[in-house]
Amino acid sequence: MILSRRLVVGSISVAAFLVLWQFVGQREIVRSDLISYPTEVLGTFIHLTATGELGTNASVTLQEFFEGFVPSIAFGVIFGVVLALVKPLRELLDPLLTAIYTAPTIAFIPIFVVWFGVGTYSKVVIVFISAIFPIMINTRVGVSEIAEPWLRAVRSFGADQLQVVTKAILPGSMPAIMAGIRLGLGRAIVGLIAAEMYVSISGIGRMIQVYSSAARASEIIVLVVVIAVFGYVCVALLRSVENRMGTWRSDLE
Amino acid sequence: MAVGSGVAPLRPLALPKFRSSSEATILGILGIVLFLGLWEVAAQVGWLNPVILSSPSRIAVAFAGQWQSGQFLGDLGVSLAELAIGFVLSAVFGVAVGIAMGLNRITEYALDPFVWFLYSTPLVALYPLIVVWLGFGFATVIAITFMLTVIPIAVNTFSGVRSVDPSLVCAVRVFGGSHKDVILKAVLPASLPLVLAGFRIGLSRALIGVVLGEMFSSNAGLGFRMTVYAAHLKTADVFVPLVAFVIIGIITTQLAIMLEGRLQSWKT
Repeated sequence: MILSRRLVVGSISVAAFLVLWQFVGQREIVRSDLISYPTEVLGTFIHLTATGELGTNASVTLQEFFEGFVPSIAFGVIFGVVLALVKPLRELLDPLLTAIYTAPTIAFIPIFVVWFGVGTYSKVVIVFISAIFPIMINTRVGVSEIAEPWLRAVRSFGADQLQVVTKAILPGSMPAIMAGIRLGLGRAIVGLIAAEMYVSISGIGRMIQVYSSAARASEIIVLVVVIAVFGYVCVALLRSVENRMGTWRSDLE
Repeated sequence: MAVGSGVAPLRPLALPKFRSSSEATILGILGIVLFLGLWEVAAQVGWLNPVILSSPSRIAVAFAGQWQSGQFLGDLGVSLAELAIGFVLSAVFGVAVGIAMGLNRITEYALDPFVWFLYSTPLVALYPLIVVWLGFGFATVIAITFMLTVIPIAVNTFSGVRSVDPSLVCAVRVFGGSHKDVILKAVLPASLPLVLAGFRIGLSRALIGVVLGEMFSSNAGLGFRMTVYAAHLKTADVFVPLVAFVIIGIITTQLAIMLEGRLQSWKT
């Protein structure tokens, strides 16, 4: 009942917004090339899809994203576990890593373009760097918060160091790792789009830049919505993975 | 799910707790010194191309140059002003919206889809439209900063208000408190921890907003200067504003953590 009221009020407010937008835009109360209007945005979306322009550029951006994000999960988790387990290394690197973690990673875009060129390589690196720090630091915090009795229990059944990691440490720190991956995901998408907008040859961010110099509001809005939907799908996927792991956890407890 | 999902409160970044043991401090400083030393040696010996990668000593020289010409302080002033104005606007507006959403279900349901959309959209991409509306420079940077910052603050304030114990509100009402009293004496203090957590997230997002805004749509500030030097391949000069951003990030995060600690100590 409460949920349905939320749905009704939410839908009404979104519909009201769209109608107002359509009215203001189409009647040129505000210049429509600055704000566009919903039907024009929809038409632009169909046009960009039909010409294949959207698909080609989206696949470039997707590829850059996965080439950077998948390694950042792997390395982030590995480094995080190592940092948590090896105390001298952790104390040596903590201030340095925390400094980079707190810094706005996107500020590295200009320097990465100088180092890695204007092509896809610099984007893969920015995705990797944006995502790895939240994943690594969350993993490290998650691992060090695992209750000591768990580890002792696994050890007392004769587990070797590798088994301690795979049977106790990784499952035990999974919620923190997933939180880190979600944080990293958001940062990676922003970093990627910003880097493509900064300088690139193709991709969604490049399209935004091209259309912005032509002041084409409807194209820009289409692209922004496409990115938002991509982000939403990723977050939803992560949530479902997390929930599946959550049920596994409650089974154990 | 899109509409009915609601918005979960955001947790600040997990930061490792520093134990203030002197051994850890020494090792930490050693780590930074080793990193800088290795970088310097690698550039001096020629393992790395110093023109591309620069080196700590070159960056120091570049910093001295930018400092003496007064350019560095000018850029820093612009960036800090944008950060402060953008953050304060977001804090005032975000807390107000969060309270409105927290106290009134209809407001919550009506605003929820927009908050969700703004939160999951890379708002940088909208900067061309903002430039058209507000022009190039200061106002646009502040607008981008505001858009990035206001949402986490509003979402956290909303969750904070929702978490307030209803009996607190009843108590204020019983003693004859007005609607204003309820907000000022019960709702705001009780939701303070989550509001402050929102401020902390907001501060780091505000800094991102300043960097992005200046990189794309400005003619002054540290972020603008980075893009100019990068275009001229003056790598050492690019690092000066970059390091400044890193240091601003550390200082603002630490300040927010300190503020959280101090304001929450009254509760115990």
